Amino acid sequence: MIDLKGIEVKFGDFTALKDINIHVDEGQFYTFLGPSGCGKTTTLRTITGFIEPTAGQVFVKDKDITHVPVEKRNIGMVFQNYALFPTMSVYENIAFGLRVKKVNKTDIDRRVKEMAGKVDLTEQQLARKVAELSGGQQQRVAIARALVTNPEIICLDEPLSNLDAKLRVQLRGELKEMQRKFGITTVYVTHDQEEALTLSDCITVFNKGRIEQTGTPYEIYNHSATEFACNFIGDINKLEPSFVRAIAQQSNRPMNAEKPTYIRLERIHVNEPEKGNLVAFEGTVQGREYFGLYFKYLIQVQGQVLKCIEKNDGHKYFDEGDRVTVSLDPDHLMTYEAGDQA
Amino acid sequence: MTTKRALNQGRTPMERMKIALARMTPGQMVLILIMAVVFLWVILALMIVPILNLLGTVFFEGGSFSTDTFNKLLKSKRAMKALRNSFILAPTLSITVGVVGISLVLITEYFDIKGAKILRLGYLTTLIYGGVTLVSGYKFIYGSNGILTTALRSVFPDMNINWFQGYGAVLFVMTFSCTSNHMIFLRNAMRAVDFQTVEAARNMGASQWYILRRVVLPVLLPSLFAVTILTFITGLSAMSAPMLVGGTDFQTINPMIHDFANMTTSSAKSLAAVLSLILGLATMLLLAVMTAIERRGHYMSVSKVKTKIIKQKITNPVVNVLVHIYAYVLFVIYVIPVIMIVLFSFSDTVHIQSRQLDFSTFSLENYRSLLSANSAYRPFVVSILYSSVAAVVVGLLVVMACRYIQKRRHSIGSNFLEYGLMIPWLLPTTMIALSLMLNYNQPRWYMFNQPLIGTLILLLFGYVIIKLPFTMRMTKAAFFSLDNALEDASRNMGAGELYTFRRVIFPVILPTVMAIAALNFNSLLTDYDMSAFLYHPTNPTLGVKIKSLTEDMGTNPNGMALTFVYAVLMMIISGVVLYLVYGRGNRDDLKE
Repeated sequence: MIDLKGIEVKFGDFTALKDINIHVDEGQFYTFLGPSGCGKTTTLRTITGFIEPTAGQVFVKDKDITHVPVEKRNIGMVFQNYALFPTMSVYENIAFGLRVKKVNKTDIDRRVKEMAGKVDLTEQQLARKVAELSGGQQQRVAIARALVTNPEIICLDEPLSNLDAKLRVQLRGELKEMQRKFGITTVYVTHDQEEALTLSDCITVFNKGRIEQTGTPYEIYNHSATEFACNFIGDINKLEPSFVRAIAQQSNRPMNAEKPTYIRLERIHVNEPEKGNLVAFEGTVQGREYFGLYFKYLIQVQGQVLKCIEKNDGHKYFDEGDRVTVSLDPDHLMTYEAGDQA
Repeated sequence: MTTKRALNQGRTPMERMKIALARMTPGQMVLILIMAVVFLWVILALMIVPILNLLGTVFFEGGSFSTDTFNKLLKSKRAMKALRNSFILAPTLSITVGVVGISLVLITEYFDIKGAKILRLGYLTTLIYGGVTLVSGYKFIYGSNGILTTALRSVFPDMNINWFQGYGAVLFVMTFSCTSNHMIFLRNAMRAVDFQTVEAARNMGASQWYILRRVVLPVLLPSLFAVTILTFITGLSAMSAPMLVGGTDFQTINPMIHDFANMTTSSAKSLAAVLSLILGLATMLLLAVMTAIERRGHYMSVSKVKTKIIKQKITNPVVNVLVHIYAYVLFVIYVIPVIMIVLFSFSDTVHIQSRQLDFSTFSLENYRSLLSANSAYRPFVVSILYSSVAAVVVGLLVVMACRYIQKRRHSIGSNFLEYGLMIPWLLPTTMIALSLMLNYNQPRWYMFNQPLIGTLILLLFGYVIIKLPFTMRMTKAAFFSLDNALEDASRNMGAGELYTFRRVIFPVILPTVMAIAALNFNSLLTDYDMSAFLYHPTNPTLGVKIKSLTEDMGTNPNGMALTFVYAVLMMIISGVVLYLVYGRGNRDDLKE
């Protein structure tokens, strides 16, 4: 559906994007993930046409649209702050794209109302000014506005970042539900890894204008391809070389202790009964943070402090100073080439 | 980030222009061409050429370069005295206005003074009542037949009835008329003070005076510098005050320029030109200093949660009483002329002449005669027409220019517009007026071979020019505070540039544009400085009319009644405009 081939974007001497190659399938929920300034929004804006790449091509359905102006692309977009026109009513906002296309009045009216219904906006809300709506309602207007012209693709630029935590989670669900309902190809930009993991069919992790990894949420999280990706997604432990050597010795496996080696918090178990492939070490509980759903322990093991989490199931509960056994599966270690983290 | 930024970065303006031209549709090209012609003409024919011509008058009087004009200036006693007077007035005025202005702000915004709201209204009267009208009001009270003078004379029969004349009088009038800037800018700065810093200082044991000196005033300092320089410039360019109350002994540069410009000899005209040049250079120098200070930046509060000032009660009871007395004396000085003007506008001419208030004689007669006599209402109509047309023209020009600048930042065209339209900011009004007057006393091809002296359009040009910089600054700010995403969203939905501007951008900035136009209308309505040079002889503006009526205040009670009616109507108009712009909700975007 969408193909970016060898995209490069330069702002003066600064290279914002370098050799970006992305393929988005029809109907997919595709997420660009990365820290601020990594190039994810620039890539999105290259797809919508706000930025013309200095090299490379953009294809939609195998048609080269690299030099097609924004207004001719018919790619819907939801902006970070929604960019609702403050001087127009909700109705006028949604009707804008249809008016531009000179759709006749009765059709406009029908389609606006239809779309409003689909995103759960009432007739009364249509008559309101956009400033009178809540954050969630504004988002729905922005989505309705982007979808009413039946674009084949919709791009969303951090649409949840302006909202408070609870609303964010709620709207995240609504967003995914809507995407399923409309079946529209969606490109989504976010810096929030949780958002990316829960929403996406496919994720591309960006860093400093380059692609670090592309894959399903499961792949990205469990098999992070680069040191940057594994650090950016989720919390993680970096193991000291001495610890890696101890694991190698106990499991009788060859390991290069000099390579950066990581393990996720939930892959470390405390006082777990012995199992075939687990290696175990003695440790001391150094600290504990309580999160309700789980505990996060800091455990001194082999001269380093490991972070790990245990479900708050009413069974395991450790105090500072407790001696415990820490075990892990060497298969769950993630190892990278030294100097990988750019 | 807007479209094509990626491509434009790193290219020269020439290359960017070529790319932009290549992308334009024929319609856009025609539009750009028309705009280019209009703005080139406005900037060259109305500003740059007349100013160059004025310089020519100074340096090339006999056809070749000479500095004779400066020699003439040095020999002219009147001119030299006027120069000296201006350079005495400006610094002293800066000090007196500074003292009064700061105290106004502290009284209304910082200290807990009883009746602060009423006091504030009184101190704000200069916003609706200034310039030549204000001088007229003060003269009515303090002048040779003035209320106060007459009262004082009954106590001291030997006193000089012309006491309110000369340097002291000019300084007095201007001190109280020039605090508007303090009441706007300094008061805003005071309101922006983070009150938690005051509480923190108190918590650490600082005294009231110490907090004021070390915590509050330093925050105000950048704004204070700026308003002081503005006051200095106002002092240098004083016009109506020295004309009306300066007497023969205390004339300053601007009245002198006006006198010389209206003489017929060419050497008088070149003297006027050289004086305006000196004034212009001084203004530019001061503005350069101000810009340098502004560039160092204002103190930004680092606090995320600002708390509003809680008025400070003055702890020392003696000081508290003294400050209250001081506050109310200032109030009386500000308010009495306004009240007197309003009251006497209902009085009959006999009582105006004798300065006696008799409520039984009150009527709307003065207002009725204003409406019935052509010569009386004509200046009012003339000023309203000029001001509104000028405000609209300026608004349209600047909106077009700003849209162009917004879309094509850093291009040759937008740089030309940005600097070109700000030229009048650097120049005193009188210099602009004089340059137009000297340049268009003969036909010029770029003015379609029409001499403009004695035509109605000349003053309109003058009004448009002097309002360009303020309009430009404000409108540009409105454009740049626009959320770029709005435009992106519109284009994303398929709208072209013009459609986007018409349907999305313009409606958003329209309220601001209208507010700016209203403020421009307001200040042009009371203009004297520009009108004095360029007014059409049979269609004097309100400022010119009031000035001439004030001059023969002693002998013409009908004229005085008329002045009062003008003043009241102007106050009402200004009050309504300011209320519409600032009163409802807080239009902080229009505070420079």
